[in-house]
Amino acid sequence: MSTNLSERMKKRLPVPYTDSLPEEIKSNLGKWADRKFHGGGIIEHISEKGDHLFTIKVGSPPNARFSSNTLRVFADIEDKFGIGTLRFTRSGNVEFISDSLEKSLLIKNEIEKMGFHAGGWRNSLWSIGSCTAYLSCTTAVADSSSITKVLYDQFGKYFTDEESIPAKLRISVAGCPTACGGLTSDIVVVGHYGDAPSFDPQKIGLCLPRSAKALEVAVPEVVMVCPMKCISAFKKDDDTVGIQINREKCIACGRCKDVCDYITFDTTKIGISILVGGKSSNTGRGQNLAMVLIPWIPISPPNYREVVAVLQKIIDMWKGNAVAGERLADYVRRIGLREFQKALDIPVTRWNNTEFVSSEFGIRQFPVR
Amino acid sequence: MTVNDKDIAISDKGAKILEYLESGKWPSHVTEIKKTKYPIRAYSSGLAIGETQWYGGSAKIRYVYTGFIARRTKDGKDSELHFRIYHPSGQFYRTEMLRKILDFSDEYGLGLIEVIGQTGGMIISMNPERADEAIDAIRNLGTDVGDTGDTYRDFASCVGPALCEYSLYDTLQARDHYMTYEPIYNNLSNQLFPFKVKLKFSGCPMDCARASHRADFGFIGTWEGSPDVDWGLLQDKIRKDDLKIERLIKECPSGAISENRESGGIKIDSEKCKKSMNCIRYAFPAIKPGKNRKVALLAGGNIKGRFGPKMGKPVSILDDYAQAKEFIMKIISIWEDGSPHKDRIGDMLFKSGFSKTVEAVSSSLPTEIEGHPTGQQRIIASAVLTDEEREGYSKWVDNIVKEYGE
Ligand code: SF4
Ligand code: SF4
Repeated sequence: MSTNLSERMKKRLPVPYTDSLPEEIKSNLGKWADRKFHGGGIIEHISEKGDHLFTIKVGSPPNARFSSNTLRVFADIEDKFGIGTLRFTRSGNVEFISDSLEKSLLIKNEIEKMGFHAGGWRNSLWSIGSCTAYLSCTTAVADSSSITKVLYDQFGKYFTDEESIPAKLRISVAGCPTACGGLTSDIVVVGHYGDAPSFDPQKIGLCLPRSAKALEVAVPEVVMVCPMKCISAFKKDDDTVGIQINREKCIACGRCKDVCDYITFDTTKIGISILVGGKSSNTGRGQNLAMVLIPWIPISPPNYREVVAVLQKIIDMWKGNAVAGERLADYVRRIGLREFQKALDIPVTRWNNTEFVSSEFGIRQFPVR
Repeated sequence: MTVNDKDIAISDKGAKILEYLESGKWPSHVTEIKKTKYPIRAYSSGLAIGETQWYGGSAKIRYVYTGFIARRTKDGKDSELHFRIYHPSGQFYRTEMLRKILDFSDEYGLGLIEVIGQTGGMIISMNPERADEAIDAIRNLGTDVGDTGDTYRDFASCVGPALCEYSLYDTLQARDHYMTYEPIYNNLSNQLFPFKVKLKFSGCPMDCARASHRADFGFIGTWEGSPDVDWGLLQDKIRKDDLKIERLIKECPSGAISENRESGGIKIDSEKCKKSMNCIRYAFPAIKPGKNRKVALLAGGNIKGRFGPKMGKPVSILDDYAQAKEFIMKIISIWEDGSPHKDRIGDMLFKSGFSKTVEAVSSSLPTEIEGHPTGQQRIIASAVLTDEEREGYSKWVDNIVKEYGE
């Protein structure tokens, strides 16, 4: 074991990436010329040299959590019917790789026997992304992993092509307003407190400087992080530090709790917001962030019936009204957020009254050349 | 209820919720976790109480400052430590390598793996007692922990040339290139910055790596002019009824495609093409990305930042991804000098004026600054509701639940 400081501080990076590739891919790098869809999660890659590879896309359990046992069985299946290489996609799916359609179907069959599903290409649900929430996160408000599980139980039918949808669909579920998965999914579900915080008067001192003298030189972190400037620190009579929270200005972002475990919220008001219209590809109306459709609905674990029903309603509306190939995000932008809210009869308050502006992001910000 | 009764009630309720989460058609995370040494009690009591049971914890690993996160439960009974491990660019694993990682996770950890986390790395739950030796073990496997703290995080690329026919440059090589670029590589362990820095590389405007939203510096493959058309192939597809010209015209969001009987069916106006990829995805390989390949550089995107989530703003169109190094280092040094803790680069550009800041260091770019940054509305995904508002939304949702049955 090396105890040399500078040696031990150095990272050992897995480079060059070509070391992780099988020969079949290395010899076709940048030479892919076409692809064919075989349905149910299998696609064929055809190279200009005439080689064929098949990827079988398999959906992961929520939060892409696997036991080492399951992954070992995956590796065995891949060794038996594939080219000995697995890939984890950026959306958390697992791709098996094979060199024939017959073997790909055998892989699909094997993973289905284990209770997994293949799918997620073309006009289907590509993934429901989830952060870790109650599994290991300190700032989680709602447990995104269990919400994701019930959503997958309900909407897995769109992943496997059992039921069709107009275009590709991405959903992401975040346990708190930090929304680690980002806002470029067609539907984004975000857990939040729905209320302004208070604090544990006994313990809040642990997050504050001991003496009010410190206030003269620095703003305590819990005060500084608030984006709405609703927390203020003051000198108490006994020369210690106290804080005050202005509920009127608070947006329940939870950032104060991020840096101080003794900020507390009334957990009976926890709910989720639902955003729509996010998209990361430049197709259609282009890349954009999702916007708030509904700022808050209550949640009822463990079946989360409210979230499931509302998402089914949104998807049905899209299915019934989109043109073929039109993503949910593009559909909502075409008709306008207000119209969409009206069609669903959603109450509009100051939290969801923004209108989509027709703005173009990504490379569309450059002049056409 | 005595304390003990309360504990029992929580544990019963938790067990019921876990049971529910193991039912249903989709593979369950609970079923996976139960096969591991993860303290499932921490999860089930969190679910029963309706609150995460984790507080920040601490761990010390000699001379390793980034790449792991420690937690402890509120009642102090359980602790958790996880490693964030660098994936190779493209996230491909020979099964032989994957098995070694699985053995590693059993030997030094809990046998529980999040194959790809939201930040991009592989998350392996560890046994805190063996974390120090585990560092040497993971390094012996040819990778390492990283991707936490106020420094360069794990960079990301789309699958690019390894499996994708649209890829306009080698995104995997680009990630390797920047991760190993000395000023970056040498600081992967040093928390020097106000907050984190991420680079992402997408091979084409589909932006599978989410370079325009989730990266402080995003690279997106693009081209000049119109897409490249193989007229013979296109006519073939039309003849075989694989492709409809009307659909091609209708689906182009730029309105750049029109009918042209002489050339083989269509005409594409290069002055209009927004590189939306619609025609390419529909007609590939008869229509492909154009031959004059470029890389668009965007800056200031992020999810987590003082002023909320942002989309990246346009900096320049490069001939080669490597051309952005000096520019990136200059922007980072301005940010490092003048920004408070937890401000992302996008927050700085927002405060100090994007164009002004970018122009000030534009001489470090071999190409001109161009483009018009789109103004962005602030998105607030949370809300503080009045009782009346809360009631309004509750009533509304009740109706939908009724409509769809329980
Ligand atoms: S929840 Fe957010 S807005 Fe409200 S006090 Fe805390 S930091 Fe400020
Ligand atoms: S961003 Fe483009 S090149 Fe990269 S994987 Fe996606 S479609 Fe292919």
